[in-house]
Amino acid sequence: MGVATMISLVPELKRALFGWFYPYRYNLERWAYALQRISGIAVAGYFLAHVVETGNLVGGLGVWSVPPADFSRDAWTATFRFLDNPLFDAGLIVIGFMLAYHAANGIRLTLTEFGFLQGRPTRPDFPYVPKSFTKAQRALFWLSLLFAVGAAVYALNVFFGV
Amino acid sequence: MKESTKMLLHYTTGIGIEIVGGVHLFTIFLTGPYLQNLAFSGGPYSVIAVYRNSLLAATLELLLIFVAYHALNGIRVILIEFHQGTSWERGVSWVLTATGIMLLVYGTRTILIANALA
Repeated sequence: MGVATMISLVPELKRALFGWFYPYRYNLERWAYALQRISGIAVAGYFLAHVVETGNLVGGLGVWSVPPADFSRDAWTATFRFLDNPLFDAGLIVIGFMLAYHAANGIRLTLTEFGFLQGRPTRPDFPYVPKSFTKAQRALFWLSLLFAVGAAVYALNVFFGV
Repeated sequence: MKESTKMLLHYTTGIGIEIVGGVHLFTIFLTGPYLQNLAFSGGPYSVIAVYRNSLLAATLELLLIFVAYHALNGIRVILIEFHQGTSWERGVSWVLTATGIMLLVYGTRTILIANALA
């Protein structure tokens, strides 16, 4: 695929992405889906940063053999001092919310992927209300959200000691 | 790899992350003061103590592999849902595989060196 073709795709990709943030006539399942995608991207971004951050534990990108322990200690302490501020702590609270939601809602998605909690197949009748998002699944979705709020409150307490 | 195999791995690594990631979060938040556990050395679950414990270091390596696959495959799913086409899907897979290999190499380096730190 040429670069020109790639660039010509940008408007399409943009429209597809922004659809998640433009909740026009969403039902509950669509909310669960959008939040799963957004939280997944957020946690993936955190993971990338976390691998880079913990790389400083041994001294950073340039270190490919075992350095003196003091060198590593200084590199890690400097990294920790840099990251230990209210802005990053607030970010971690958001990541905690996202991670907890993604983990709990992921269990619901795994269950449905393997055929659980789907309900019995029935004839589609007017007004065609979707029946696949069963009561049990709704309950799990709300529990996921509750779990995420709990994780955020826990993180708030850890980082800001409320 | 078949699409169904990729998705089976996605769900399997997802469950795996909940277990191994649970251990990771447990050692940091529930084994003592959080700030003590994030210090370079000191307590039984300080950063360097965790890496020197080969069992815990192995769970970190497992977590790295699981999350790298799960995250990059998740991004792949999103990108091929946005746009379909053979060359697009091949390009996306290529870039994400390369990213994954770099992440695994760098993360594994951290774990191996930290495990061996005197």
